[in-house]
Amino acid sequence: MILNIPIWRIKYLPNSLDEFCGREKLKAKLRSILDQGNFPHMLFVGTEGIGKTTLARLFAKEFLGPNYEINFRLVYADVPLNSEERKRARSEAYIPTSKIGSLAGKTVRTPAFLQIKIKPFVQLRALGSVPFKLLAVKNFESLGSDQQGFRRLMESYGSNCRMILITQNISGIIDPIISRCQIFMIAPPKYESFKELIKKISNKESLVLEEQVIKNLYRITKGKLAQAIDILQLCSLSNATIDNENLYETTMNFTNDLIHSLLLMCLRGDFLKARELSRKIQSIYKYRVPELFLLLFRDLGKIPLSDFTFSSIMNIIADADFRAIDGRDSDIQISNLISKLCYFSEFL
Amino acid sequence: MNNTKPWVEKYRPKSIRNMALPSAKIKRHKVDLAEELRKFIINFFKEKQNLNEKNIPIKLHNRTHGKKEQKKKLSLASEKSAVLLEGPPGVGKTSIVYALANDLDMDVIETNASDVRTKNALQSKLSETIKSKSIMDYISKSKKKLILIDEVDGIYGASDRGAVPTILSLIEDTQFPIIMCSNEYKQNLQSLYNKVSKYEISPLSNEEMMKVLKSILKNENITGFKDDDLILLIEKNHGDLRGLINDLQGITQGQFDKKNLELIGDLHRDSTEEIFGLIQDLFLKVSSLKEAKILTSKSDVDYNFLYKWVNENLPTFIKMKPALSNAYENLSIADEIFGRIQKNQYWSLLPYFFDLFAGGVALTRKKSSHQGFHRVSFPRYSTTGYFSLTASEQSLAEKIKEKYDISEVEIIQNFLPFIRMLCNYSRKQLKNVSDWLELDASEKKILKKD
Repeated sequence: MILNIPIWRIKYLPNSLDEFCGREKLKAKLRSILDQGNFPHMLFVGTEGIGKTTLARLFAKEFLGPNYEINFRLVYADVPLNSEERKRARSEAYIPTSKIGSLAGKTVRTPAFLQIKIKPFVQLRALGSVPFKLLAVKNFESLGSDQQGFRRLMESYGSNCRMILITQNISGIIDPIISRCQIFMIAPPKYESFKELIKKISNKESLVLEEQVIKNLYRITKGKLAQAIDILQLCSLSNATIDNENLYETTMNFTNDLIHSLLLMCLRGDFLKARELSRKIQSIYKYRVPELFLLLFRDLGKIPLSDFTFSSIMNIIADADFRAIDGRDSDIQISNLISKLCYFSEFL
Repeated sequence: MNNTKPWVEKYRPKSIRNMALPSAKIKRHKVDLAEELRKFIINFFKEKQNLNEKNIPIKLHNRTHGKKEQKKKLSLASEKSAVLLEGPPGVGKTSIVYALANDLDMDVIETNASDVRTKNALQSKLSETIKSKSIMDYISKSKKKLILIDEVDGIYGASDRGAVPTILSLIEDTQFPIIMCSNEYKQNLQSLYNKVSKYEISPLSNEEMMKVLKSILKNENITGFKDDDLILLIEKNHGDLRGLINDLQGITQGQFDKKNLELIGDLHRDSTEEIFGLIQDLFLKVSSLKEAKILTSKSDVDYNFLYKWVNENLPTFIKMKPALSNAYENLSIADEIFGRIQKNQYWSLLPYFFDLFAGGVALTRKKSSHQGFHRVSFPRYSTTGYFSLTASEQSLAEKIKEKYDISEVEIIQNFLPFIRMLCNYSRKQLKNVSDWLELDASEKKILKKD
């Protein structure tokens, strides 16, 4: 029974390393590693949305074969622990006085993330006929200082479990970890492979696409497959024939318009409305404050401004961002930014 | 000796007869607390005696038979062995227990939250007295005992390990009745609430508290207090009789010549109306840093909370953009200082914080801007700083994760906006997606939200 999956980006996920779009050289390298059967810890580096996690999953599937479910785990390092997990971490950290040894009665300070999510998996032996388990950690750079705890784990449990660390920027990873890993730089798919996949989808879904449109799609999404497939699906809703107009219209709606309107509201000088909108954005998207500043800054590039204006606004955002690092109340810091932008708008 | 004793102890009632009894409810029925407790204690001893007699043959049997043939001893139901009094502080819970014990000629063994309550400490303190009879009981007829476990809501996971199961097991084996007191409902005591009867105690009425105050004043030979002054005191304490008596002692002892009303005015207990007035005054009346400091330090309002109020109401009072920008500059520096204080414990920086968030903000307002009426509002927005999902968002995320393995962060920030756009296009799309994911009504609502 083929389940009709309504969301295309899930429907067209690759199921094996062969189906993975493009990047032939990388695939060949991974296949040769699979043949050897032994490899060090790996580090996948690349921009967001190009398929690093999918690649890690497929690689693990091929390596572990039928024992995939038990011996592979994907952990997200940027999702904070929920309250039960935090409670467990706190209670497990306390070593009761009934135990013998110098640690009795003390609290062991392992980072909670390692204790709850990593250690239980890594400490158990691999099941089945595989030589070791695989652990993939996504967004590894968001661990920050907890990466130090990882070093020891990688060494002591390395024979039992290999790690695949996935990250967007390699500068966020400390050197000791980099030296323990084999680095794979992953690039977005080339245009030819991208075109192939899009054509395959349009055949299956009976769409009509011109070559020009595919080129534009590739340019807009910069090769990010999931985003491209999403846009394709949204375009196809109104019309099975997709032309440039359709594409641009959908893309305008699709990209994050709330942030854009927030920026525009600030530059128009409407403080109260801008603050309301910023609170709404926080509650919908639950961004952390540094992310919000970064998104505003990125969005700034889309507005046509003179050099002077652009650099002044950039300064304002940078100052507010720096202030917000140590700040406790994010609403105050965002309000600060909005008030500065509103003040600046008087000069525009 | 008497003039050094705090009045709260000096005037603690020694008998139920001359005590102003608070009203109590059990399961929303009003009851007479003293009567109920008295019945509970007398019943306890009766039933316990019965049970002990029934247990004698069982004990004999157990002594003569091997491990596998042990019979279980009968024990009293926990509702009949223990009682919980729940009510706000200062309302009379501990006092009523002592007064009752005095009337029934019993001793009170007390333990409260200030004692360390690990399982071992609790057992060592109570188990001997609960389970066995001391040698004195055989020599002379000593008084029966009443166990009081005060401030039971002080039990907390880490420092009081195993306290709730210990208490439950002690309740099972106890030879003496147990009365527990607590201030409020606590989630981690739910297993306790299920097994004992809980009385909810409400504070005394204002008239009854007035009577108590007047009798104390008469006893101490203090005159010069008008009824209005006393009413002011009573209202500021919100049903806390202990606090009220303390306040009274604080006013009357020491400088006796000072005007009583002024002294009462100086005693503040928290109230929300106060914050509204404070914010108004801060923005409209303050004209120097010193005044701002006096204003904020006079209030008892926690500064943690106060500076959020300032944030919420700033734009209503300051509308001109330059002033607004300056005000927020100061407020955000104050917040940064506060963050550094918390992180690194640099508490010496606190004075800067106070100056900045109150005076620094208020003084940026130009006097010429219109006075008029400004509406002060609650801080509606509070940031937890945690990425936390509502319950229906959580269940939606779990259902998505079953079919497509991505993290909650990606769902909220990337995937969900896309699905929303898809579902808002047509009902058919919404139906497709929600059927595939098997969503219920509240989760569907999240998809429909604009």
